[in-house]
Amino acid sequence: MKSHPPCSSKTPVRFRMPTAENLIPIRLDIENEGQRFKDSFTWNPTDPDSEVISFAKRTVKDLKLPPIFITQISQSIHSQLAEFRSYEGQEMHLKERIVPIKLDIRVNNTVLRDQFLWDISNLESDPEEFARTLCKDLDIEDLEVGPTIAVCIREQLFEIAIQGVASARESRVGKKGRRGAESFINSKMSSSSLDLVKLFGSKGSVVRKRKDWYLYEPIVDILSNEEAEALDAREVQNARLKKKLDEKEDSFQERS
Amino acid sequence: MTQCFDAGLSTRKCRERELYAIPISSSWFKWDEIHESERRSLPEFFEGGSYSRSPRVYKEYRDFIINKYREDPSKRLTFTDVRKCVVGDVGSLRKVFLFLEKWGLINFSVSDGKQQSEEDDGPVVIVEVGPAAGVRVVSGSSSSSSSFVDSAQAGGESAFRLPPLTSYSDAFGEWKPGSGLICGFCGGHYRSGLNESLNAGIAMCSKCLHKYTGNGKIEDDLTPNDHVDVKDQSSATCWTDTETLLLLEAVLKHGDDWDLIAQHVRTKNKLDCISRLIHLPFGDHMLGTISTKSNNANLITPLVEYKPSLQVLNDNPQEFTETNGDQQVEINKVEGIETASQDHSVKRRCFPPFTDTTNSFMKQVASFSTVCGPHVAAVALDAAIKALCQENPCAKMAFETNADKMVKPVSPPYKNEFKGDIKFEDGDAKRNKQSAYVSEKSFGATTFQVRAAIATSLAAAAARAKLAADQEEREMELLMASIIQAQLKKLQYKMKHLMEIELIMEKELSYVQQMKEFVMEEWVNLLEKLFEAGIPRWRDQVFPKTLVHTFPL
Repeated sequence: MKSHPPCSSKTPVRFRMPTAENLIPIRLDIENEGQRFKDSFTWNPTDPDSEVISFAKRTVKDLKLPPIFITQISQSIHSQLAEFRSYEGQEMHLKERIVPIKLDIRVNNTVLRDQFLWDISNLESDPEEFARTLCKDLDIEDLEVGPTIAVCIREQLFEIAIQGVASARESRVGKKGRRGAESFINSKMSSSSLDLVKLFGSKGSVVRKRKDWYLYEPIVDILSNEEAEALDAREVQNARLKKKLDEKEDSFQERS
Repeated sequence: MTQCFDAGLSTRKCRERELYAIPISSSWFKWDEIHESERRSLPEFFEGGSYSRSPRVYKEYRDFIINKYREDPSKRLTFTDVRKCVVGDVGSLRKVFLFLEKWGLINFSVSDGKQQSEEDDGPVVIVEVGPAAGVRVVSGSSSSSSSFVDSAQAGGESAFRLPPLTSYSDAFGEWKPGSGLICGFCGGHYRSGLNESLNAGIAMCSKCLHKYTGNGKIEDDLTPNDHVDVKDQSSATCWTDTETLLLLEAVLKHGDDWDLIAQHVRTKNKLDCISRLIHLPFGDHMLGTISTKSNNANLITPLVEYKPSLQVLNDNPQEFTETNGDQQVEINKVEGIETASQDHSVKRRCFPPFTDTTNSFMKQVASFSTVCGPHVAAVALDAAIKALCQENPCAKMAFETNADKMVKPVSPPYKNEFKGDIKFEDGDAKRNKQSAYVSEKSFGATTFQVRAAIATSLAAAAARAKLAADQEEREMELLMASIIQAQLKKLQYKMKHLMEIELIMEKELSYVQQMKEFVMEEWVNLLEKLFEAGIPRWRDQVFPKTLVHTFPL
């Protein structure tokens, strides 16, 4: 049946994570005197701020890290929380948009690459449940993979959600001056999402062509210990090089 | 050309003969329609207002998923298989997938260790009308999976032999995570994954399975891929009593240091200890208690008391958390409390600290006493003060002097209320307020008052516990009585039935006897007639003898 395109933009909501539970992803990557601490997890922004420091203390104690990590961890968490909170007061326009979410993660010895589609306006989506299902279907034994997947999904959702807000902010600014900016930003955003009208309209089919199925299939690799260590070492090297480059750039800019 | 045509025809005929099993509760399903239950369960597709969710899209998803499953009904279709083939939000797609799985339209004939869903009915009937691909379905069993046949048979047999009823020990006994599943038929433990199969919703071990099927055919159908990975059969699964005891001791001693705890429990590693502690009923609370109040390590109580107190714990109402919370603060000051409180001290360790540290201690006591009921608190306060006074005469003086002081400062604020109220309850409430008020004011005999307050709350808690226990006992008695009554009724019915049958039997018996007599008469008459007619008697010796033998009565 031919239906007129329904009102696709919903009423604006307060900024929040577009998932059933409003948890934000936190990523930590702290290096200090040769010791590197990497972690990623979800945080409930309604928890009191005092929880951050007690969490940092507990983590340092459990992993037997030097105490200097406590301040660094809590600083990092606080800054990420602050970034989230800076958007909190604003309104978010959630148009129905299906975006591809990509996964490319390595957790201990498991490497996972995948991509799938996510509707950013579905406020009942659940990355944790998706991660659980994925691990179950793929028979992934390592229990750390699931949470990492969920955090990765949340990070991407967060980025996209911010775009929704930022563009609203910019468009308000743009209305005064450049009108063209708004449409430009919108088109830039929607290029990464699906053309809903074409696909879900009366002529499209939701079933993909068979030859495209492999593109959206998850690929899981189990590395041997040596390969994992090699990759780790290379990552550390890269991080250090990047840091050096950044420092050089900063100093160069300062000079000039 | 004709070859192609024949091939097409034959495949159609083949497909016509394929049978797919779905539960009887899903008989509403039709390829061409969307049923009300689908609309109800997945409203987001039918509300309009969305590009990617519309009835047409839903129907395409549904048809695709079901067809994909039916390409190989014995293999479990996973969500990941489906979502790579279909465009759309994975969240909505997952809802459709779960809906179809719940109703048994997919993954129904799969028999593997992972089957989690319970089947709606034991006997399964396949019903499908008007299939799109010329599929015709007949009630009975599907030929595509023999395991299904066996499960139907086993289902029939299981109707007569019910699984053993859960006993108290099953429900309340020591829970051992991963210690193995219990077979529904023989009650023995078995390892999960390799041997289990859910027949008519009852898990069976391999031995029972063989017994029922009489052959090893089942095992052929359970491909290795379908088994749950039996990885956790290491020592991580079975926690013996001694190990649990060691673990709890270690937690009390070392608190949060998991390395030392793992050392103490020699046979388990760190992760196992942590997971075991979390799974114990009070484990979380212990962790909370320990990490925040590690200075109370001197109060290690024997672990044996945990078990009985746990039973009581389960009955206690929520007020206890408050009791035990404010006790914990003052625990260091209390000495020489009666043994009843030993149990309570155990309870203190188990509950999380009720530390609303912004309130003063006395306020907590006051709030507690209001929660627990003025009567109980007043009576308990009396008893506590009496006990303390008996213990130490100074205390009495302290209370008396305070009582004097009590009247004066208290009377102005409460004057109006005193005059107005004559009722007993209000008097009690005021007494409580007074006691709390006074405690705040006078610092002279704080220790005694503190002890009095503590003893009060403990006594009140004990009173509550007794009341709750009594009630439980009464309830139990009531249940027992009703059970006994039901049994008696059953017996009565049986007796009645038997008596009726006996009556019928008797009637039958008398009828048969009559018939016998009748036959006898006839025979005698016949013989007489023969005599009169002059026909010689038969020389057949056998005949009368056989007749003689039929005259037993």
